Amino acid sequence: MNTLVPNRAVFIVDDDDSFSRALARLLQASGHETRTFGSAQEFLRELNPEMRGCLLLDLHMPGLNGLELQENMVGAGIVMPIVFLTGHGDIPSTVQAMRRGAEDFLTKRASREELLAAVERALAREVEERQKRERIDELRRRFATLSEREMEVLGHVVRGRLNKQIAADLGINERTVKLHRTSITRKLQMPSVAELTRCAKEAGLFEEEGAL
Amino acid sequence: MTPLLRAIARARKPIEAASALVWCSVFLAFPGFGKAGEVLPGGGNGWKVLLVFSEGKDLPGNVSLEQSVRAALQKKAGRPVEFFTEHMDASRFSDEAHYRLFRDYLGAKYAGQEPDVLMIVTPRDFALPQRLPAEVFRNVPLVFVTSSELDPPDALKNDGVAGLIEHLDTRRTLLLARQLQPELQKVVVIGGKSECDHRLVERIRLDSALLPGVEFEYWTNQPFKEAQARAATLPQDSAILIGTIFEDGAGQTIYMTHAAQMLAPVATVPIYAMTSGAIGNGALGGAVVDPQKVGERAATLALQMVQKQMHGKLEEGTNSIMMLDWKVARKWNISSMHWPAGAVIANRPRSLWEDHKGVISSGVAVILAQALTIAALLAQRTRRRRAEAEILKQRDELAHVTRVSTLGQLASSLAHEINQPLGAILRNTEAAELFLQREKPDLGELKAILADIRKDDQRAGGVIDRMRSLLKRQNLQSKPVDIHELLNETVALAHPDAQARQIKLSLEVAPGLPEIRGDRIHLQQVLLNLLLNGMDALKNKANGERVVSISAAETMDGGVEISVTDSGQGIEPDKLGHVFEPFFTTKPTGLGMGLAISKTIVEAHGGKIRALNNTTRGATFQFTLPGHRS
Repeated sequence: MNTLVPNRAVFIVDDDDSFSRALARLLQASGHETRTFGSAQEFLRELNPEMRGCLLLDLHMPGLNGLELQENMVGAGIVMPIVFLTGHGDIPSTVQAMRRGAEDFLTKRASREELLAAVERALAREVEERQKRERIDELRRRFATLSEREMEVLGHVVRGRLNKQIAADLGINERTVKLHRTSITRKLQMPSVAELTRCAKEAGLFEEEGAL
Repeated sequence: MTPLLRAIARARKPIEAASALVWCSVFLAFPGFGKAGEVLPGGGNGWKVLLVFSEGKDLPGNVSLEQSVRAALQKKAGRPVEFFTEHMDASRFSDEAHYRLFRDYLGAKYAGQEPDVLMIVTPRDFALPQRLPAEVFRNVPLVFVTSSELDPPDALKNDGVAGLIEHLDTRRTLLLARQLQPELQKVVVIGGKSECDHRLVERIRLDSALLPGVEFEYWTNQPFKEAQARAATLPQDSAILIGTIFEDGAGQTIYMTHAAQMLAPVATVPIYAMTSGAIGNGALGGAVVDPQKVGERAATLALQMVQKQMHGKLEEGTNSIMMLDWKVARKWNISSMHWPAGAVIANRPRSLWEDHKGVISSGVAVILAQALTIAALLAQRTRRRRAEAEILKQRDELAHVTRVSTLGQLASSLAHEINQPLGAILRNTEAAELFLQREKPDLGELKAILADIRKDDQRAGGVIDRMRSLLKRQNLQSKPVDIHELLNETVALAHPDAQARQIKLSLEVAPGLPEIRGDRIHLQQVLLNLLLNGMDALKNKANGERVVSISAAETMDGGVEISVTDSGQGIEPDKLGHVFEPFFTTKPTGLGMGLAISKTIVEAHGGKIRALNNTTRGATFQFTLPGHRS
């Protein structure tokens, strides 16, 4: 069961072999692929962006603990929802984990329904996150085809400026502004200003200018 | 802890009381102990008194006379008195050569240290002063103590001589004879023919008027042997009175004592005499010189002479006391009704008490003192036992409380430790349920699940057992303790907490450790306490330095030494000496009981505990336990 499955596995990281094994059995019996790791370090060694699925992570472990592993993954920009498992949950750890985007926080003796629901949610979220990430990547690829001047004009457009105002701001002819806008619409294939604005926001553009 | 310390303090006092009692009993057992020895003035303001006896040392009269003179002088002088005694033994050594030797001896001995007073004790004559070395004693006041019928020579009445001339008490002796023998008809007086003897007989003749109707017979001019023979034929209701026999019919001198000795076995009637020696030797009784009275009078005279209150005085008279022989009285069937009151009774079979008064009284005192000591010790022991039991109880309770609070500290990590296997069991059973719903359940997998469930159940049970044993309230027990097991279990207890705190526990146990006897739970408490302290000391340390090491090794004397070393800040040097004191703590929420209790527990096991700072960093707590190798 530990063979690498490229799509949709549940990764279990816990130093307690017996618990990992029992958890893996239950998840497998419920139709999930699983992979178990005895420590956070062991998991980090194997981790790559291609790994799909969610993580069931023990909070208390010798060496690197659950929260530290989470920090590492966030830092590395790896999208994988985490369900924390703990013998006994304490509020500070829970808060910290949730702030960093933990999917869920369960005790080790949580009910099967709760556990499986959390896993399903995490897996669904992973798909969602993946799709969102892919869409953003696509949008960014498209925005990347614009010239520097076109990006400049777009910045003003998404902030709702009129052509006349944009021409004044940039010190160019109003007609030239119109030509840029036509080029943008053609390159991005986004006919309305509304859609342009939404996609730019989605792709995380112009955030630093505080206008969106 | 305070009541505990108070209880110890309470237990100390009776020990002192008991030891004081023991000392008391020692003094009672040896009544003479502690009395100062006789003071020797050594030329200070004390007096030197020289007693010269004309006769030998062992004469009973001399012994008691010397004692009473000494006692009286010491009592009256009011300052230290040093006594010297010399005996000329004139009756046994009566040649001139001996006298010369004696004189030369005294001359050489006392030259340069003349006594303050010279007392001459002589029952026989006044010649002695002339036989003393004049050059030494010329200026020394002289006091005679003598019993004699002789007239003192005129020379003695000169300046510088005092004396007590004690006459034989013929009157009271005759009166005693009548008192003891109310039917008395006849008195035979045995005397001698010397002038001195004659003078005494004359006095008796005069005194015979005291006994009207009693016939007096005087045997004065016959050999003593003849008198002895005649004494065997005397009629009933007669009495013999022995006078002085300086010269019998055959020219022999016979002392009263010897006369009584020789007459007593043959005489058919009671014998009376006027010396105490005779009364111990066959005579029934008589008025004899009272050494007590004579001693006191002589002492008074001597003092007056030394203090120059007078130049000289001769006192003549009698200082007598009635005396009779108990055995002889029995022999003559003389009822004690007739005995004069206050008489000295010789030869009375004495009671054990009289014979051994000192021994018995000191024996009784010892027994009494011992009994008191034992009683005090018993009472004290009861009290001490109670106090000790109290201390033990308090210690156990305190130990229990600290164990509970220690477990409190561990509670959350132990809960985790229990939740772990319980979670595994839950997941396994859920998985098994799902497997069983399949058409062809994988029996091998189900078997593995069941094995895992059993293992996890035992794991959780183990944690609970460890906790429960620590929570158990029990008295200190002494059983063999396996050090390996003890250390492993304790580390297992602390492990979850250490893990939660990211601390590594390292355990190093030397092989072949000696067997230890003790209380596993209490020892575990000590270890756990030291471990948790060590872990607390690492609070502000970086990850790599968070290590607490536990090691056990054999000591030189066959015990075991267990060390708990942390890599924390160490203990401030001025606090190092106080860490085992109750209520001493460096932790903001600490109670300060852990180490104090640990110390009590270790010491109750006969071991020692200490704290020291490591040379590099952190502190080490070490405790030893005595080995129990059989």
